[in-house]
Amino acid sequence: MQDAVSAGRRHGERSAPYQPLAFRGALIIAGKESGELLLSKRGLLWLLVMSLVLSGFALLLISNTELGLLENAQVVYDMVGLVTSLGALLTLVVGADAIGGEHERGSLVPLLLAPLPRSALLLGKLGGQLIAWSAMLGIALPYLWAVGSTGQNLAAGIACLIILGTPVVLTFGCLGVALGARLLSARSALTIGLVVLILAASPMILGPGLRRTAIGVAFDWVNPFSAVLNATDAVVIDSEPLLTQTVPFAIALAWMLIALWYARRSISRLTGSPQ
Amino acid sequence: MTGLANGRSEVLVELRSVEAWRGGATILRDVSLTVRAGEIYGLIGPNGAGKTTTLAVVVGLLAPTAGGARTLGLDPLGQAEAVRARTGVMPERGGFYDWMSAFQYLAFFARLYGFDPPLVEIGERLAHVGLSAPPDQPIGTLSHGMRQRLGLARALINDPSLLVLDEPTGGLDPRGRREVHELLLTLSHKCGIGILMSTHILDDAERLCDRIGIIAGGVTVAEGAVPELAKMGRDLEAPEQGGGDRYRLRLADRGMQSASKRLPAGVSVLDGEGDWWTVALASEHPPEMVWRELMSLGWPIREIQRLDSRSTNSNLERLYLELTKHTERQRAA
Repeated sequence: MQDAVSAGRRHGERSAPYQPLAFRGALIIAGKESGELLLSKRGLLWLLVMSLVLSGFALLLISNTELGLLENAQVVYDMVGLVTSLGALLTLVVGADAIGGEHERGSLVPLLLAPLPRSALLLGKLGGQLIAWSAMLGIALPYLWAVGSTGQNLAAGIACLIILGTPVVLTFGCLGVALGARLLSARSALTIGLVVLILAASPMILGPGLRRTAIGVAFDWVNPFSAVLNATDAVVIDSEPLLTQTVPFAIALAWMLIALWYARRSISRLTGSPQ
Repeated sequence: MTGLANGRSEVLVELRSVEAWRGGATILRDVSLTVRAGEIYGLIGPNGAGKTTTLAVVVGLLAPTAGGARTLGLDPLGQAEAVRARTGVMPERGGFYDWMSAFQYLAFFARLYGFDPPLVEIGERLAHVGLSAPPDQPIGTLSHGMRQRLGLARALINDPSLLVLDEPTGGLDPRGRREVHELLLTLSHKCGIGILMSTHILDDAERLCDRIGIIAGGVTVAEGAVPELAKMGRDLEAPEQGGGDRYRLRLADRGMQSASKRLPAGVSVLDGEGDWWTVALASEHPPEMVWRELMSLGWPIREIQRLDSRSTNSNLERLYLELTKHTERQRAA
């Protein structure tokens, strides 16, 4: 070991006053989260799995288009729905791991002991989810181009994905964070989050007839997934302007804010122990 | 340094009759302690006594349900960020990001504390705790002892006034332990940092600590300077149990039923179970004569070990065992 006295002298010389680091701290944590996604084996494996699923689905869609079974607009709509679902799954996984996983690995306590407000920790974790969603979009764009470049609705589909998809994806990311903070277990948080995700994404597999019933309509009104899919349907297939889809966007945004509030409340109650 | 600037009497941690509740159970019932600048305070106690929970209260991770807690003169919960900016904590289970290198890890925490040290300083800080890993070596490949040192480097990254350590030498080899001892003694006595550490290694407590608090069942059962507590331990030796030298005898496993009833003058049995028996000899009786008399009375002595009743460690141990025996019995029941 080096001379501890000299280290102590240097220690004494540094007179960095404590400054609130809320936003800067959030950026630092977001940077760490992106490293975890892009540099760790686990994060890269998730991105690889997403790529494989998109490859398989894109192949199916292209085959159907070649056979004349699906229109180009329908293909783009299906692809946007799938990418949104996969994005929600990815942020749910990242969110559940953000607090629950870190607690299980023992790395949460040092973070909680840093001089940061809990809101900065939450912002940093959400920043990591945004980076994960951006990575997902980056992977999805070539596939979207591959299936939709021959039509005229590709740009509208991409716009729907970014503008309408982002609140839905972050809703599930916040849910993962909140459940992880409540249960302090990534696995439990992920299990519950997946059940909610499957229920919310069920309109994707419901037929149009069922969705037009009273229950289907009511479900559509409260479900962010339905709201986004209906809006995407209107924009990509019916060629309506995106600006007319304010209500579905507001529904998705409201759910995101509710999930954000729940995550913030869950993180602020987090105690932990130096063990 | 804060401690030197303001004198060694500055109180860094003060817990008064703290009670704390966690997971549906009361963990702390009545814990009090005071840590001053420039001293090492050891919190010792059996597993489950509440040591880690006490540390959690000190650093503001857990709210006490009763009693008072002040850390660095501040409310550890209400002024948590200001407390944490001046506190370094090393949890027992120091979780790390295995994909990072030790350099990246330390730089990450330095930035969280508002510093942006150059790579050279990070290397110096790692060397300071005896960790000389290559800059690009992932933490996942470091040994347990190296991770322990990295945890200590992280705790020191903000140049704290108060260091809170949970079992700081667990998992270290004897040389590593000695090096950590030297570092902690220097940080405390020369740099003026107050150190609050939990341990159940009494040797660590005796070598390092200026004062010790013994905690059992969530209650502080003793607190004081090490020599004071050692004296209390020494005084526990009842005169009728033999105030002279103590010996451990290993006996062949036969004839003890009758032999235990026949003792020469000046010998008393303190403890007897299985092959090993502890006896006390009155100071006026030469041991060699006593062993001969015992053997002539049928004691099948095979080995004799002298116990040093004057060592601080054995006295601390005696006190510790005495004060925590009720808790251990309750646990066993």
